Amino acid sequence: MVSTPEIVALLGVGILLTALYLQSESFVDPLISGIAVQSLLLAALLGWLAWVEGNVDLLLLATLAVGIRAVFIPFVLRRQIRAFRWRVREIHAAHRVTGHALAAVALAIVAWFVFQQTLASVFPQPGAALPFVLLVEGLLVLATRRNTIVQVIGYLEEENAVVYAGALFARNFPLFVEVVVFLDVLGVVLVGVILSIQRDVTGTPEEASLEELAG
Amino acid sequence: MIGPSPPFWLFVVLAAPAGAAVLSLIPSSRVSEAVARGGSLVALAAAIALLVDGASGLWGPYLGLDALSDVFLVMVTGIYATSTFYSARYLRGIERPYLTPQIYYGLLSAFAFAMIAVLVVSDLGLMWIGIEATTVASALLVVLERRPTSVEAAWRYTLVASAGLTIALFALLLLYTDTGTLNAFTLAAQKPAVTLPVEMAVSLALVGYGTKVGLFPMHTWLPDAHSEAPSPVSAMFSGVLLPTALYAFLRVYAILPVPAPAPIADLVLAFGLLSAIVGAFLLQRQRSFKRMLAYSSMEVMGIAVVGVGVGGIALYGALVLLFAHAFAKSSAFYCSGNVLQTTGTTRIDEVRDLKTRVPWTGGAWILAALAVTGAPPFGTFVGELVIITGAVGLGEYWIAAVLVGVILVAFLGVNGQIGLMVFGEPRVPTVRSEPGGERGVGIAYLNLVVALLVGVAALPYLSSALRAAAQLLGGQLP
Repeated sequence: MVSTPEIVALLGVGILLTALYLQSESFVDPLISGIAVQSLLLAALLGWLAWVEGNVDLLLLATLAVGIRAVFIPFVLRRQIRAFRWRVREIHAAHRVTGHALAAVALAIVAWFVFQQTLASVFPQPGAALPFVLLVEGLLVLATRRNTIVQVIGYLEEENAVVYAGALFARNFPLFVEVVVFLDVLGVVLVGVILSIQRDVTGTPEEASLEELAG
Repeated sequence: MIGPSPPFWLFVVLAAPAGAAVLSLIPSSRVSEAVARGGSLVALAAAIALLVDGASGLWGPYLGLDALSDVFLVMVTGIYATSTFYSARYLRGIERPYLTPQIYYGLLSAFAFAMIAVLVVSDLGLMWIGIEATTVASALLVVLERRPTSVEAAWRYTLVASAGLTIALFALLLLYTDTGTLNAFTLAAQKPAVTLPVEMAVSLALVGYGTKVGLFPMHTWLPDAHSEAPSPVSAMFSGVLLPTALYAFLRVYAILPVPAPAPIADLVLAFGLLSAIVGAFLLQRQRSFKRMLAYSSMEVMGIAVVGVGVGGIALYGALVLLFAHAFAKSSAFYCSGNVLQTTGTTRIDEVRDLKTRVPWTGGAWILAALAVTGAPPFGTFVGELVIITGAVGLGEYWIAAVLVGVILVAFLGVNGQIGLMVFGEPRVPTVRSEPGGERGVGIAYLNLVVALLVGVAALPYLSSALRAAAQLLGGQLP
């Protein structure tokens, strides 16, 4: 019989692997699939904990992870890609993904090490370092990628990290479901509104190097 | 007076912008303009009433007020009101706006509501939601003028601010895990033990909220969003959004004992000093006058954060600086809007002889430049002087020296460039622009008067509230 800590750890490792995969891919479509899989794994983790503990909040969070981050936002992002068929690959990152992947692995190790040296005694839960690692990986996507769709994926990864952390060690955090709903609203605003405006005005999802914004 | 239930004006200050946000959507631009104006004035009146009453207390698990929130409420509603009035003039000068006036006023009021909500809640989680809501409400305002650069700026703003706020949320998770509550007022009164999670929470809150304050190196969204947003929105960004984000950090910082533990106080000082230095030097090399003003805001926020890190009397200086700067910088941005719509450019080297073209706006801009850079007798001067005095009083001479250097560099940069634009000789002769080019300049002068009064007079109620607010944060009276 597999125990709950083992299942949580197994799903956590799966989430970490998707995070590393997101760093090593330059085609946008597989990246969208990657974040959807990561959200599904997180939803499975939340759903399992909700079932074991009879926690309705965790069930709501799992539903949000599936509905918004695994289905709705990836669906909208794919529609954006269909509007830009000529740009299914992130040109700025295409030559650099190997470097990104190596940096991601190094960063994951450093984040893990820092957590063990500082907060491990405060948060003894198995895999408690993983949300921190995921947060750092999300920030890396945001910092290194210039395609707006990929940056949305980085934002979703960060949101997954926060939900993951809340589920592991701050389960009674007040208004946590409301906070996550708010993050999802922002995600929907990002993909639904700003990407559309960007398409209308600039005609490209690549973040531009506009001279007026230099300095 | 405060009874067992929340004061009436607390509901009014929330309901006025919320109502204005909804009613602005009525399909008539004149009605939505009137509704937004009315809502902003009612909100300002309610905020002043709360300040006069000295409203403070905790009501239920989520609502709370004290002197700090009272001061910030007047600041936010003041700039909301003046920006709403200035907007009418500014919108008429935009040829093909991306948003209808109804949507614009609705979002402007929603933006103000989100900031006001941050100031009247006692729960750090709700405060976080309020700060995040400011991003949602204001991101679309940045694209009003339909430029590719505006969209790019809105995108960077949303993304960078949200990434920072995710870190702030992590901070709150850590804090809650260690203390079991997120009530800022309770935590500030109890002063929980400074454990490793609490130290990490305060440090992460500094990075997270610091992103929205515009602290170096998380400031990258700030110059873009400020320069690309329409001028009334830039005024709200610089004048009150950055201080509201700093307010959220102050609520977390206030849980620490006084004086704050050295590693955290040092971290706050480091972020503040670096931001002030980088802001002061980067503003020198800007080609756009709006970007220059944005970097000036970064410099001022850095100085205010130094005041927080120094503590004691400097905390009082930081609050005076934030209040006076809100009115001075909004005035500078209103003037920049007039200049942009008169000349059609934001490039410093293409704007000259404003003294002839728009003399009233030119005059206000010169005064606003002096005010934002801490010239006496404006309130910004008093605030910066008190912060420097606080550093000297603690024997931190090097901090005082760095601040003096930064203030001088920023003073020369901003006043030199704006002086050139107002008094500089044009390449081709210019004539006085049509009177429409000066519309709304009275609002700029009005805000300058407030920034001046903060410096030269002990304003009734405000002065005592500023002192009480500084004391709440562990500061001392001057």
